[in-house]
Amino acid sequence: MTERALYVYALVPHRPGAADGVTGVDGHPLRLLDVPGTGVAALVHDADPTPYQGTDEEVRRRVAEQDAAVVAVWERTGTALPMTFNVLVAPDTPSDVPADAPRDARDARSARSAEERLREWIASHADGLRARMDSLADRAELRVEITVDRAASARDDERARSLEAELADRSPGLRRLLTRQLEQIRRESAERLADALYADVRHRLLAVAEDLRERSRSVRDADELGVLSAALLVRRSDIEAVGAVLAAVRDEQPAARIRFLGPWPPYSFADLSDDGPQGASAPAAARG
Amino acid sequence: MTLDDLVEVLLNKGAVLHLDLIVAVADIPLIGVSLRAAVAGMETMLEYGMLRQWDADTRAWAMRSAARHELELRAGEESVVRMYGGHLLDDDFHTTWRPGTVHLTDRRLVVLRRDPREVLWEAELSAVRAVRLESERTVGGESRTRVRVETADGAGALLSAADPERLRDLLVRTCPGPLTSDGPRSPLPGPDERALVEGHLWYREPRRDGPLWRGGNGRLTPAGLVWKSPLDARPALVLPAADVTAVRPGAERGPGGEGTVFTVETGSRGTVTLAADEPRRWVEALGSPRDAPALPSA
Repeated sequence: MTERALYVYALVPHRPGAADGVTGVDGHPLRLLDVPGTGVAALVHDADPTPYQGTDEEVRRRVAEQDAAVVAVWERTGTALPMTFNVLVAPDTPSDVPADAPRDARDARSARSAEERLREWIASHADGLRARMDSLADRAELRVEITVDRAASARDDERARSLEAELADRSPGLRRLLTRQLEQIRRESAERLADALYADVRHRLLAVAEDLRERSRSVRDADELGVLSAALLVRRSDIEAVGAVLAAVRDEQPAARIRFLGPWPPYSFADLSDDGPQGASAPAAARG
Repeated sequence: MTLDDLVEVLLNKGAVLHLDLIVAVADIPLIGVSLRAAVAGMETMLEYGMLRQWDADTRAWAMRSAARHELELRAGEESVVRMYGGHLLDDDFHTTWRPGTVHLTDRRLVVLRRDPREVLWEAELSAVRAVRLESERTVGGESRTRVRVETADGAGALLSAADPERLRDLLVRTCPGPLTSDGPRSPLPGPDERALVEGHLWYREPRRDGPLWRGGNGRLTPAGLVWKSPLDARPALVLPAADVTAVRPGAERGPGGEGTVFTVETGSRGTVTLAADEPRRWVEALGSPRDAPALPSA
């Protein structure tokens, strides 16, 4: 394919020079594609209209490169709507447009370049994009992962303790049975602790963070039970306060294991919730 | 929207896809992701290394055939029943319900996912040794009946089904060998676990920039009040009964209208504001949880 496509990293407020010297995936030099009249620009590199494919290692390297590029420009512009990996805008290629594509794509009379398509898209969404950028200005995303250690969380459980004591001088058959009971008690005990801890930590984090979005669990250790896995949207000046909350939780609850990551560009909060339903956005309830 | 959600949307709910910008590779619309939906968190991929799977799944989705949700029957095999359901993946790393369709034939029991097509779980009926219904209480307090299937190799599965009783009955009738089966067997709830009031409940969640009314499920037991939103992983409100010092009707207007709000004074959380269609039931039961009679679900 000879037509050029654009690989899009993020949408940012247009600040001439903000991409100068920044390189992206595979060392591609980045540029800002300005959309006149909107104040919005797209951070892009010129690419073949072919998504990146490769081994997991290559993907990791490229994702890290993309992240570094977005962070560098984000720090200069103060806000950004980052894209996921492999967002490519291709020129119109009418023969490739499938029959079930939206009408405007099918009806396109003249093929547009990738730049024209992206500019048109940004111009038609400019108000929403600017509003979202403004609401994310001076904010960062933090990631909080909390789990509890199953064994440690049952340490205070009297039933578990007495069963453990009983185990030692029993026959192998009975020991198997008791071990199963012990596992059940530990499971229930850990679940109770996780519920109480979740409610408490969520309450304390929401006093500091502006938004909290839960993510799917990433517990990989069978000895742990997931409590909270969330992305927080936090004012830069409040990042330390989040750390203080987590430090307090760690001190209060010895069974808790805490991972605290960031600050990152607001990857999990860049969706445009003002037009149309968004799967992971905040619940549709009235602010009281 | 995060990549996890994106994958979920793309693979399981293809109908909501908006093809704003299309990249065509070898005549297959590979990245059929609207720019809006693509604004997302890529660190997820750093963690899961799932990009290739994502591409492969997207291709599979693009090329799916019309017959994708049908089970391919073997020669002479006959379908007995098909219903929506799922399989509980429970290994060292995950405990996840994977939705799909439960197919019972005269030879096999299969849980099939449509997109991307995958056999989530499968057993030959000749190997099925026992089937029984189990009651599972979800964290949110809802009770669900599941179908436990045990197989000759000692493994087995926990399945969900649109009509678990029917699935069990048909399975018992279809399986060739004698089968161990019993009626509903739910662990008896302890004295502190029986629900006094249970049902939809609004919780006015305090937040940094002002409180937010959120809908969810409330469950009041003699042990205390638990409230969970279906959007949250765990209950956002866990109030032990001993922590509640007072309960009173609220004056303000709630999401359900006038006269729906009530407040709970607690030692640990201060004043907790809630709202329900019938707040009186909650207020009365909360006021004396130990003495309150068990009520049917709200």
